[in-house]
Amino acid sequence: MMIKFILNGQAVTSAAKANERLLDVLRDEFRLTGVKCGCKEGECGACSVILDGRLVNTCMVAMGSIEGSTVMTIEGYRETERFAVLDKAYAAVSAVQCGFCIPGMMLASECILANNPNPTEAQIRTGISGNLCRCTGYNAIVEAIAIAAKEGRGLW
Amino acid sequence: MVNGYLATSLQEALEIRAKNAITPYGGGTDLMIEPAENANYLFLSKVPEMKKIVEDTQYIRIGAACTFTDILESELVPAILKEAVAQIAAPAIRNLGTAGGNICNGSAKGDSTLIFFATDAKLRLVSNTGERVIPITDFFLGRKKTSLQADELLVEILMNRTGLSNYYYKKVGARDALAISRVSFAAILNVEGDKIVNCMTAFGAVSDVIIRRADIDVMLAGKTIEEAKAVKQAYLAAYDQAIVPIRGRISAEYRKTVCMNLLRDFLESNGI
Repeated sequence: MMIKFILNGQAVTSAAKANERLLDVLRDEFRLTGVKCGCKEGECGACSVILDGRLVNTCMVAMGSIEGSTVMTIEGYRETERFAVLDKAYAAVSAVQCGFCIPGMMLASECILANNPNPTEAQIRTGISGNLCRCTGYNAIVEAIAIAAKEGRGLW
Repeated sequence: MVNGYLATSLQEALEIRAKNAITPYGGGTDLMIEPAENANYLFLSKVPEMKKIVEDTQYIRIGAACTFTDILESELVPAILKEAVAQIAAPAIRNLGTAGGNICNGSAKGDSTLIFFATDAKLRLVSNTGERVIPITDFFLGRKKTSLQADELLVEILMNRTGLSNYYYKKVGARDALAISRVSFAAILNVEGDKIVNCMTAFGAVSDVIIRRADIDVMLAGKTIEEAKAVKQAYLAAYDQAIVPIRGRISAEYRKTVCMNLLRDFLESNGI
């Protein structure tokens, strides 16, 4: 029996087994390689997507649990106006270096602002606390999210 | 669905549980770290009876499939539980991980489990043929061993509605986010008038099972703060004997020292 869910706005079905990781299915079956595999144990956040409106690590999600759910990856999110604001803000303060953490970091940024359009610095830091970045030292990312909150007023 | 069942009601979940050798799956954050290739899961995240946080006259009833985020967002959940849950991992894990999973994983390092121990919470375990409500201390039999039967599911955690507000909680980890507890400690002291009504303490990540010694804590019950001071040394000595840490990634000596420091700090913060 196929597993049905909504992926980046499209109804899709997967022949994956219920115990397979959403991470592997997104990358291997749907070729959405913006979902990065860093640790496979929920420690790095590189594989983050938005599942039913919440940030999750796809390495920790078994396919059987997402039947009927809605999944948004960076490939879907990049089509949105909100992404454009975050993209510009990240670029403005050079918040991206190697880029491996950025798909997850962007989706974490979206979840921070969707919950709270005017986050404090502490709230931003908590919001990205599960997304590890080995290059930037985080400060530029925190700044980028604060800029996006300001520049994108009314979008979130 | 191959290798899994998605239940949409408790009745359905219990029927599947009774007929199949399956692993109950709450949020997956422990199970998916080292999944067995042939793992057969019973997915509980869409069982409405296990997703609710409600109150009755005596208890706050937390559905076992409620995520840590659900717990943080509930107005009914007591502050002691929220403070501990807010320090679990990071948002993406809190959005998946469940209270029931934290308990049934059987670990003495479960940060929400510790609070359920310290507050003498009860567990409602249900099977197709009946149900039982037991103290959480009776559920844990040893390291990663619980009394969950092959046809049972943990459906709700019951916390007392009152007597949980004067609490103490500390998690000692290597960093703020994504940290496994090195030692965790939760305690409650209820004082009415000038008398201690009860004292409840629990030590996590120290031993095979979370340490909850009501028989020692009772030494402080019924005493004034002054009288409690008089038995303080005997109380601390009893815990010094009761806490026998296992060696893990950190030394037993370190764990023991931190436990005793936290216990003393809890007493001192209450004037004892």
